[in-house]
Amino acid sequence: MSAEATNNITKRPSRSLWHTLFGDWDRTQITVSVILVVLMAIAPFFIDSPYFLGIIILAALYAFIGISWNIVAGFTGQLLIAHIIFLALGGYTTIVLLNVYRISPWVGIFIGGIVAALAGIVIALITLRYGLKLDYFALFTIALLVALRTLFLKWDFVGGAVGMYLRLANPSTAKMIFDTKPPYLYIALGLLVIGIVIQYLVYNSKMGKYFMAIREDEAAASALGVNTSRYKTLSVIIGAGLAGIGGGFYVMYVTFIDPTGLFNLGVNVEIVMAGPIIGGLGSLAGPILGALVNKPIAELIRGFLAGERSGITLIVYGLFLVTSIMFMPRGLAGVFQTLYMKIKRPSRDDV
Amino acid sequence: MSPEIFYQTIINGLFTGGIYALVSIGLTLIYGVLIIVNFAHGEFLMLGIYVAFWAFTIFGTDPYLAIPIAVLLIGGMGALIQRGLIQRVLDAHPLNQIVLLVGVSTLLIGLVQFFFSAEPRSIHVPYETEVITLFGLRMSIPRLIAFFASMLISLSLFLFLRYTRTGKAIRAVSQSREAAQLMGINVKYIYMLTFGIGTAITAVAGVLLAPNHRMIPTMGQAYSVIAFVVVVLGTMGNFVGAFIGGLIIGIVETFAGFFLGGDVKIIASMLIFILILLFRPSGLFGRKRS
Repeated sequence: MSAEATNNITKRPSRSLWHTLFGDWDRTQITVSVILVVLMAIAPFFIDSPYFLGIIILAALYAFIGISWNIVAGFTGQLLIAHIIFLALGGYTTIVLLNVYRISPWVGIFIGGIVAALAGIVIALITLRYGLKLDYFALFTIALLVALRTLFLKWDFVGGAVGMYLRLANPSTAKMIFDTKPPYLYIALGLLVIGIVIQYLVYNSKMGKYFMAIREDEAAASALGVNTSRYKTLSVIIGAGLAGIGGGFYVMYVTFIDPTGLFNLGVNVEIVMAGPIIGGLGSLAGPILGALVNKPIAELIRGFLAGERSGITLIVYGLFLVTSIMFMPRGLAGVFQTLYMKIKRPSRDDV
Repeated sequence: MSPEIFYQTIINGLFTGGIYALVSIGLTLIYGVLIIVNFAHGEFLMLGIYVAFWAFTIFGTDPYLAIPIAVLLIGGMGALIQRGLIQRVLDAHPLNQIVLLVGVSTLLIGLVQFFFSAEPRSIHVPYETEVITLFGLRMSIPRLIAFFASMLISLSLFLFLRYTRTGKAIRAVSQSREAAQLMGINVKYIYMLTFGIGTAITAVAGVLLAPNHRMIPTMGQAYSVIAFVVVVLGTMGNFVGAFIGGLIIGIVETFAGFFLGGDVKIIASMLIFILILLFRPSGLFGRKRS
């Protein structure tokens, strides 16, 4: 023990930088996340194609949305399957505020987040009040999605079945409308950084430990004095709020929203579930790793294969989910963690 | 609402409900034995209707003759999916199970879309618009056939589970996996068989819809949701509950369609679903949860 300590002191200072960045798996995940964000941020200096920049923007956004689901489903283990509800609510709020009330999306997307979080509170309180867990909770969220889709289809104020289009004005920073891609990219990355920070803070807090205790064994957590209702509600609020903000930006970027496009379980798989599942649900870097695999591959397939035959994208998403669960249930992050442990162990021994 | 229209709506509701009952029996059987909600359930109905389409367009066979093909093909496929995939996540976190089944559902929709395209399809048989009138009530022939076939299949399955050795083994596993195993029942085989039967009868429901139903690859999702509603209403895992629940939801939906219009009728089922989930999640036939 003492020999190890002395050795550490006599090591070069770079050792401590190495330790700060890659000292344990959590640090490594954060470092990798930051590197990936930086790589995305410098992309506009090397890539001119709006098409490829668009893919990076959506990858960053999907990573942010993935984080929002990761906190509910990954950390707390809640079967909030139809998470896209919150995305849609945030999106509708943002576009209604802009089109009808002339409120800038810079404020609007955060109001969208609040609306989604409020919806999250209502859902959490109702389901907890009546003790809906696991499968029943999953079914409840799906029923809600179907009900909301039908309501929005009939609700003329939000455009009914046609949906709502952004009134395209001249490019204006105040209205978050740009004629080039990089501004969108930096907004998406800004959100992603907020998401990474919030996810890390939650993960490292006492609250986060309670979330994970609930995921592992809710009855045991409850018996040990964890107020499971409170922490399940909190995780839904955080996840829903972030998803609402993501939905607000999504609408600003794609410039329209309609009920069948977002209250849609297939789209839910693509935007919400696929990324974190591939990347590793419950891990810190999972949503980002997953989004960076998910979005580019999906686009590649759309661009090169799906032209003649539809359905390929769905096949690939189906295979993504099935093979992830069967062969790497902890996702890419889990695979990398195993590798990391293998590399790390010998280096600790030779100290 | 005049009495004639009232009775006519009841009849239409029963016809719709017969199919719902069949689909839901498949779901509840799977849940009762494997304790897993088959989130890909509606996709097996969709596969069934496409089998009928495929048999009709390629071989020109009457859609009803596709029933045995659907049972073997789709039921066999269900059994393989259970053995190859679902069996391995039975002890995993429920989230993994759901994600796997959502993946299977996405995959199946994608495959059908790939081979048959996303365009709506339908088949036309000579009797598709024929109607008989009984006691002043009009009944479409294909829907009448579908209703009686559903009743017959449900009854046969009920008797199968009640009286045959295999049926008793299935019920034994659903009562206690461990005890059944100790009695020498091959639980893994029963799981595979149950999933196969559950998906096969759902595929048959699809075939029965074929003569007068437009088909698209994503149509299964709506039936999944309906089956969830019915199964929770009739108590998860309860065979008779799913049967009666199916008929109830069929009738409720038809009345809702009459009063609210076809595209909003789903709201009525969702409302029932949410109320049942909240106030009596154990369903009509279950004991109250502690």
